[in-house]
Amino acid sequence: MVDDDPQIRRVMRATLVGHKYEVIEARNGEDALTRISAEMPDLVLLDMNMPGMGGLETCQHLRSGSDVPVIILSVRNSEKDKVAALDAGADDYITKPFGMEELLARIRAALRRSPTSPEGGPRSMATSDLEIDFDTRRIRVKGKETRLTPKEFDLLRYLVSQAGKPVPHRELLQAVWGPDYGDEPEYLRVFVNQLRKKIEPNPAKPKYILTEPWVGYRFAVPGDTGERQKK
Amino acid sequence: MTKSRIRRALRLVAAPAIVALVIAFYFRVVSVNNTTVALTLLLVIFVISAVWGLLEATIASLAAVLGFNYYFIPPVGTFEVQDPQNWVALTAFLVTSVMASQLSARAKRRTQEAVERRREVEGLYALSQSLLLSGSARTASQDLVSRVVKILGVTTAAFHAKSAHETFRWGPDDPLISDEQLQADRDEALIDRDRGLAIVPVRLGGQALGNLGLTGHLPSEAVLKSVAYLVAIGIERARALEEASRAEAERQSEVLKSALLDALAHDFKTPLTSIKAAVTSLLGQPRPDAERELMTIIDEEADRLNRLVAEVLEMVRIEAGKLHLEKRPQDISEIIGSTLAELKPVLHDRPVEVRLQDALPAADADFDFLLQVLKQLLDNALKYSPPGSPLTISARAGEGRIVVSVADRGSGIDEQEQLRIFDKFFRAREHRFRVPGTGMGLAIAKGIVEAHGGKIWVTSEPGQGSVFSFSLPVYRGEMVS
Repeated sequence: MVDDDPQIRRVMRATLVGHKYEVIEARNGEDALTRISAEMPDLVLLDMNMPGMGGLETCQHLRSGSDVPVIILSVRNSEKDKVAALDAGADDYITKPFGMEELLARIRAALRRSPTSPEGGPRSMATSDLEIDFDTRRIRVKGKETRLTPKEFDLLRYLVSQAGKPVPHRELLQAVWGPDYGDEPEYLRVFVNQLRKKIEPNPAKPKYILTEPWVGYRFAVPGDTGERQKK
Repeated sequence: MTKSRIRRALRLVAAPAIVALVIAFYFRVVSVNNTTVALTLLLVIFVISAVWGLLEATIASLAAVLGFNYYFIPPVGTFEVQDPQNWVALTAFLVTSVMASQLSARAKRRTQEAVERRREVEGLYALSQSLLLSGSARTASQDLVSRVVKILGVTTAAFHAKSAHETFRWGPDDPLISDEQLQADRDEALIDRDRGLAIVPVRLGGQALGNLGLTGHLPSEAVLKSVAYLVAIGIERARALEEASRAEAERQSEVLKSALLDALAHDFKTPLTSIKAAVTSLLGQPRPDAERELMTIIDEEADRLNRLVAEVLEMVRIEAGKLHLEKRPQDISEIIGSTLAELKPVLHDRPVEVRLQDALPAADADFDFLLQVLKQLLDNALKYSPPGSPLTISARAGEGRIVVSVADRGSGIDEQEQLRIFDKFFRAREHRFRVPGTGMGLAIAKGIVEAHGGKIWVTSEPGQGSVFSFSLPVYRGEMVS
């Protein structure tokens, strides 16, 4: 729980401990980075506006060496701020003040990994330049091991499990984040962009994750991509 | 002055004296032929003309002609000339010496002029250098005037700045430079060398900045014009610098304003976050009804306080011109749909009719802010009309604008109140204590619409109901998905 306000940390500790979570506190970004690398928490709640290293910067630093789920807490409510937080590597964003039930639901959603091999989905996939092993959650791009955050990985897995079919925004959000989600198309925009940067040979002209205008996204099955990509 | 005159007089005496010495030397001490005497004298005259000048050389050559004639040309001891060939020699001697002295004097004058030019150029250079040090336009003008005096060596300088109607002077007060002369519009420089007065227009790129007046020992006209030009550049430069620093200060104050608003939002919302988190956490556990009721009140009031803070901050943002719009092409029907979906819990079973013109163009607007405006108008209509009465939302386009209206069948608003209804904190008299609200909703809606370049207005007939409308510009760019 990273926040510069001691009262907020107190409330959060009391509530989260009541829900059987173990809570580690940090007062600012620098403090958070040391404690996170020392104690390896399962989830980080990160305030956006802190003196010194702010939430966004902390998140970026954290992402360079860790894929721990991060939920950003912020008083700002604009789409621009949400996108900035997700771009920095956060998995979710909640606006202060928030109801505790909502935060708990988001914590559960962030901690929930979809089962290692969803029904009907492949256990692994390989093309000439992309290998994904869904059991071990490993991915290699052009033979090089690439790190995906859990949400990025879950998003990719869901799209691959529905390969060839356009997946609507709402369905994708609910499958990856949970049943309380569905009205956050900006989440998909950011995560799809990040995924493309990591797995596409040319992110500007994607060949795997294609946008279906007004509908959602589609994972192009290797082999029959050529035909459907032509416009 | 007198010192140099005495020196001049001494030189006029010394020049023939030197000639006399040479003649005496050849006449008394060493006997040589006449050619040697003539050449030596010629040499002496050359030296005199090169060192002292034309007058000294002319006197010296006259003395030489007389002395040479008397002592060396036969018959010696008289001024008579026996052989006509000697006349030719004598004349040639005189002409050559005068011409030589004139030539050398001219060369000397040229050198002197060159030195003067060099001094002027150095002065201009020093002036142009000093231009780089000036501060504000005002101090720069004062500074320039004093530098012109020091560098050009004039007695006084005055500059009249046209735009500021201000005159800057340096040096002893000189009645020669009158205010009228300085303030007059002039195209040509006035240069009066007899009185030692110059008034030069200072202009840059055809624009008159003022006049520069100088008295005392004036430099050449070219230099005067260059000085005027340099002064113009100096003043213009200072003005540009001043403007740039003012723009920078303004930008910084804008940044400060934004930072202050953010800090304010943060400071208000942080305690609310703790309260809200604490009370919702308690509400998440099973509780007796009485406790639950009290906690629900805390929760609802925290929400209300949060809304209030949000409204106040939004109002401040609007008034500070700090509303950050992300304008995109917006489908009005989609915005109406989203608004109705969000207001579903408060709409209950209110019949809402939506009337849209066919093929409505996209509006150029920020989705979230537009949603807020429409929510505010619908919320208002709900609050101020009888339960169960129908509401109508309509949208039409024309003249590059889209007009969206929300109509209710409420009690209407009288004309007096219609004028003030979009004012901050205004509450209708009749509802002031009956309907909850801060009186900021419509003011914020107005601010948002106006930030989009639109208008908001109300038409109402007491007893019949009210129609709140706002206009938005039609999106003109290329449509993108």
